[in-house]
Amino acid sequence: MRIITTDTCVSLEEDGQVFTLLEKPALPDYSNITKRPYFSVYYSEGETVWERLSCSMAKFADFCRDDPYLGCYGLILRRLYPMLLSDNRAKNLAAYGAGTDCMAYRVIQDFMTFLHTGSALTALAPSPFSLTAVSPGSCAALLYRLDTFPAPAAVCDAINRIKSGGLLLLYTVKETVPADLAALCAKAKKDSFGPCTLYSLTVDEAVMDFAHENGSEAFVLARASEITRRADDLQNLVQAMLADTALPDDAWFIAVTILQQTEELLLSLYDYLENDELPVHANALKEAVLNCYVEMCRPCGLTAFRDKLTQSSELFFTAVEQEFLT
Amino acid sequence: MKKYKMCMIPASPLENVQLLKDRVLLPYVCYRLFGESFSIVTQSTGDYPYLSYLEGTDFISLPEEQPHMEAAVSYVSGHSQDIDLLFLFGARGEYMELAHTYKSLRPDGVIYLKLDTNIDWANAYPLHDQNFSVFLEDCDIISCETRKLQSFLYKKWLRPVEYIPNGVWYPLYPEAGDVQFADKENMILTVGRLGTAQKNSMMLLYAYALAFPSLKEPWELVMTGSVTPEFQAEYDRFCKEFPPLAPHIHLTGHISDKQTLYQYYKKARIFALPSRGEGGSPNVFSEAAIFGCTVLTTGVDAAPDMTDNGRVGRISPDPEDVKGFSKELLSLCQDPDYLARNFHEIRSYMRAYFDYERLAGRLRSLVELQSLKRRRS
Repeated sequence: MRIITTDTCVSLEEDGQVFTLLEKPALPDYSNITKRPYFSVYYSEGETVWERLSCSMAKFADFCRDDPYLGCYGLILRRLYPMLLSDNRAKNLAAYGAGTDCMAYRVIQDFMTFLHTGSALTALAPSPFSLTAVSPGSCAALLYRLDTFPAPAAVCDAINRIKSGGLLLLYTVKETVPADLAALCAKAKKDSFGPCTLYSLTVDEAVMDFAHENGSEAFVLARASEITRRADDLQNLVQAMLADTALPDDAWFIAVTILQQTEELLLSLYDYLENDELPVHANALKEAVLNCYVEMCRPCGLTAFRDKLTQSSELFFTAVEQEFLT
Repeated sequence: MKKYKMCMIPASPLENVQLLKDRVLLPYVCYRLFGESFSIVTQSTGDYPYLSYLEGTDFISLPEEQPHMEAAVSYVSGHSQDIDLLFLFGARGEYMELAHTYKSLRPDGVIYLKLDTNIDWANAYPLHDQNFSVFLEDCDIISCETRKLQSFLYKKWLRPVEYIPNGVWYPLYPEAGDVQFADKENMILTVGRLGTAQKNSMMLLYAYALAFPSLKEPWELVMTGSVTPEFQAEYDRFCKEFPPLAPHIHLTGHISDKQTLYQYYKKARIFALPSRGEGGSPNVFSEAAIFGCTVLTTGVDAAPDMTDNGRVGRISPDPEDVKGFSKELLSLCQDPDYLARNFHEIRSYMRAYFDYERLAGRLRSLVELQSLKRRRS
């Protein structure tokens, strides 16, 4: 794929196919009615916006020649162009999924600074935590490489960083998007050329609601609530076991099943846990319950299992309380 | 409760001596507890006299003309319906195809992988390899042999890993039932391949030498196991350097007769494990402990588990710290009350947490849970 720039047009070209990215606008002379830098720069004797844009596209072609996402960068700048020129306010953009040293992001940053020295494109490190470092609703647009983080929760977290009316630019070189995101992508404008596809989604109220419901914060809160609910059920069961209360035959099995589910829930929240030993504590309690069960089936007269069950349950329930309830 | 058709397939051809070790004993005890049948599928490496201890086992020899694992995959392809529970030993690349073949034929079947690893090995698993990750996903139950490693693997793999230590199958040790503390002597015993880097045997010699002048009563040091030529030379030099100690240090050589070895366990009050590293708790530890020996160990991964965090034994953490090991050794030798009390404590502890029959009981519930989950999905 190539980017071709002429005096009046920027386009993508591959195998004889051409996709026009932008054409030089024939603007009327607004110099009499405004002194905003955008227009003054545009008509200044120095470099014009169009010239700078063409130069940026040429830099994509130069620096990202072998990058499979080259076409995506062209499509991104095409979608950003009207937004960046829409008013004279500094724009705060973020980019996620391509790492912090992506040359294309530097080119876009350069173009944004040309338009307004206060504008910034922050390339985020490829970690879910870097998204949480961005204030909610603070970005005018967020560039998101879908192939690196295809999880719906991560996409929703990204949307939550965008201000109302802002743009989410999801780009990919894969043929299909994850099934969980198909509905969201269907609402977006789709630009496609060769293997490169860009989904441009305006963040409106419906999109924001979807993101709030499916983002990692909602996920964590829902999981945390499931864990505490299970812990409550377990606490009652374990207390009954320790008090030698008559229990149904399958009570032990139920306790172990709940603990197994709890372990899995805890592991799914692992990145967010303050106490990273919590899943192991759940496993230790499961082991203690099973040991008591084995002792019940094949008694060897040892009290060690009951003591261990007491210890393990105290350790687990205290840790759950500290993690989720204090 | 359901009875399972069980099968154990080693990653490389099985040797006779391995029949009575964890890789076979745990599956076999599971078979005794909740198995319909039990087969060991391997290429043969010779005679298997120890099979006589494993009544009911179906030993299936794989053809020799193919590589071992290739033959094992062929076997599983043709006999998947005869396997409800597949036992694998070690997270080895060789198993990847086997596990995948089994799972594709028997999605309702259960694979149990006993890791037999230590932290160094666990850190070297090729998690970046997609096939290896799939292999781990194919394994329904994974267990490791130490709690320290369990905690490590939870953080590294983000999946449940059970703690199932290397244990003891008591019917193999009828002599351990009638051992009395009164029969014991002032004997420090170690068992292993003496002189190998891993077993760190010289450290024990020097620790004993440091403790020796402070001992109020004579204590014998008995070192059992095959001896490397290097260690033999070091030992000879040591005896010349410290002539008063020489009569108290005994190299027995390798003892193949288990009954003879058990006599040493019966007599020893202290079992010393000076190792630099072990893959889980070594079998010799379990054997010594059920005979009521108090264990002094270096800080191998399993040290806290073997000693119940220092309650039923002592830990000298640094395997290069001769003085530290010697100090602990001396302290044990000078505390006959603790040794007498601990004779009972460590045996109870072993009975509770290292008895394969109990461990298999726990494994049974885990298998039931997985089996249920598989059937539902």
